[in-house]
Amino acid sequence: MRRPRLSLREQPLPGGQPLAFGTGLLIALIVGILLLLAAGHEPLKIYSRMFEASLGDPDAWAKTINRAIPLGLAGLAVAIAGSMGLWNIGAEGQIMAGAIAAAWVARIGGDWPGIILIAMMLIAAVGGGGVLALGPALARAKLGVNEIITTLMLNEVAIRLVQWLIHGPWKDPDSYNFPLAPMLPDQARLPTLFSRAHFGLLIAAAVIVIASVAVRYTAWGYELRIAGSSEATARYSGISLSKKILTVLVLSGAVAGLAGGVELSGTADRLTETISNGFGFAGIIVAALALMRPSGVAVVALLFGAVQIGGQSIQTLGVSSSVSTILQAFVLFGAIGAGVFSRYRVVLDADTRSSNKELSDD
Amino acid sequence: MALLAVLFAFGMLTACGSDDSSSSSSSEASSSSSEASSSSETEEADSGPETKAAFIMVAPIGDAGWNYAHDVGRQYAEEMTGVETAYVDAVPEGTADFGNYVRDFIDQGYNVIIGTSFGYMDDMLALADEYPDVVFEHVSGYKMNETNFGNTFGRMYEPRYLSGMVAGSATTSGLIGYVAAFPIPEVIRGINAFTLGVQAINPDAEVEVIWTSTWFDPAVEGDSAQALLDKGADVIAMHQDSTAAGEKAEAAGARWVSYNTDMSEFAPEAFLTAPVWNWGPRYVQIIEAAQAGTYAPSAYWGSMAEGIVDLAPIASDVDQGVVDQVMEAKAAIIAGDLHPFTGPINDQDGNEVLAAGEVMDDGAMLGMMFFVEGVIGSTG
Repeated sequence: MRRPRLSLREQPLPGGQPLAFGTGLLIALIVGILLLLAAGHEPLKIYSRMFEASLGDPDAWAKTINRAIPLGLAGLAVAIAGSMGLWNIGAEGQIMAGAIAAAWVARIGGDWPGIILIAMMLIAAVGGGGVLALGPALARAKLGVNEIITTLMLNEVAIRLVQWLIHGPWKDPDSYNFPLAPMLPDQARLPTLFSRAHFGLLIAAAVIVIASVAVRYTAWGYELRIAGSSEATARYSGISLSKKILTVLVLSGAVAGLAGGVELSGTADRLTETISNGFGFAGIIVAALALMRPSGVAVVALLFGAVQIGGQSIQTLGVSSSVSTILQAFVLFGAIGAGVFSRYRVVLDADTRSSNKELSDD
Repeated sequence: MALLAVLFAFGMLTACGSDDSSSSSSSEASSSSSEASSSSETEEADSGPETKAAFIMVAPIGDAGWNYAHDVGRQYAEEMTGVETAYVDAVPEGTADFGNYVRDFIDQGYNVIIGTSFGYMDDMLALADEYPDVVFEHVSGYKMNETNFGNTFGRMYEPRYLSGMVAGSATTSGLIGYVAAFPIPEVIRGINAFTLGVQAINPDAEVEVIWTSTWFDPAVEGDSAQALLDKGADVIAMHQDSTAAGEKAEAAGARWVSYNTDMSEFAPEAFLTAPVWNWGPRYVQIIEAAQAGTYAPSAYWGSMAEGIVDLAPIASDVDQGVVDQVMEAKAAIIAGDLHPFTGPINDQDGNEVLAAGEVMDDGAMLGMMFFVEGVIGSTG
């Protein structure tokens, strides 16, 4: 029995990732034309709108950037864990935990000067996300409990916590009993850079640069990647795995928490149960597209943000939300698929062991 | 960077391509059905800004409930006014998405924005300020401004009361289950009106409430209905957007009062009746006012007499005597002779909240946070 299998290429295809992404994107857009035609739309009109709304002018760029900020931070969170072969599926909840912590600071610091208030909110957000990741990190580091399950389950806990706060102790007394948290004080809002693009862009960029350098160029990062590629090698070289797991997962949660703080302060008026808006789950795709490399996250997040903003915009032309979502998925999976095929090839092999490194999903 | 370049190049390509097709009519206003696109007849040669209305909804219009009812209203308004309309659905509250959509619509020349979910309120208030030439109407909220932002809602408690009468006649166990979203005044008012209607026919019947903490989650709604059925309820009512509760009632051989729209086709055996929304005429009013330049913000709370709320047809196996009683009550409400919240009304603990003969004022109804006697459950 010959079965298809993915095998790592010794040499990536010429042109590397960028060419692969571009090709995948083109294929996806062509498939998308068929989808749009089948749904009774004019593909060129739709694509042109998609582009104009996401990258057509400074206002459009601002929308895309504001979308890319939480996507990039969430993607970075997942990628940091992924550098060590760990899966943080809990960024969605950690974003909420970060937003809760930041909202709490905004509640007690309503009369602090803006810069101090915002700084404290963001620090609290980092702490909030880190705290939510601490349990899964400890369980994985000390007991070997699978972090995929624990981080995933804590998402549910985080959203219930937000709901409880909004329906209970943090309900705005002026909201006629509607479950709404009070609006943030004005000085708790991040300033804007241009159009509506907010200061979170610089925060996200700085954090992504720092993380990329740390993972790529420091001894700490080197150990991380060793541990990620082979546990045995890591043990043999005397790397303390459990300590690494603990720090990496908590850091991953902290970065996702920061995304929540930035989102609250940058775009939301108040704490809501939709504050994470799927960014935590989308972050997994962002990280996967960036092949778990922190340095790739920024570009992917920008592309992803543009696709989402463009995909939303075409709904105003009458494209249904489902068709738009399928189209967005085409584009992203086209790019992912091509990215994978530039590094791996499909081989048909008999039941013999191959010396090639397999694409394993563990 | 290279991939952005590719994206950019593709964008240029399509931008050029679209120039060729831009002379074709903009008939994409509705994706849901071709019947709604009367807009294609609108010529672009009109002088002055054309009126175009955009609707923003929180869940898919395919929910058969709240959002579907709004989309029916949108299509009605398009047909009646000849104005081009469009919608986006599944737009979450409290995120940047809402503002992005609104700005997209305004960029395309839409000048009436109707948001149909409570959580859009503060965003709409801010956007109305930013775009003074655009009319904003918010459904189910309470904020407004003095120039271009008003709100619309309906006195759903009127048909709720009538649907309670039907439910009261249908229960034999004396326990009616009520699957409800959130303990906010709107929902509590509905539960109370329903219960008073039940008691008008069946004074000893009780109504037990389960809170789901969601407007739309078929799994949770279905599980909650099942829990009530397991406790002995033989009629299920609801303040939810999906049909899940009705499907559970149907499977259990119980009866069902749906909400938002006539959902009889989803549980034909169980379906009794439903308090329903009829947004179309109100949307016509708003759009026509915007068109004529006479729009003035108001806090519109329309009644059954005005037609924004109604009772769906009653199942054919309901006793004719009961149907007559319900129709009589409906006529009395429309005529202003009957108000569901007329004293004596006691709260759950038996304390009098409204003396005999007194009618509750709007303020008390809008802030209602207590259950009437006969409701099992807590408002907290």
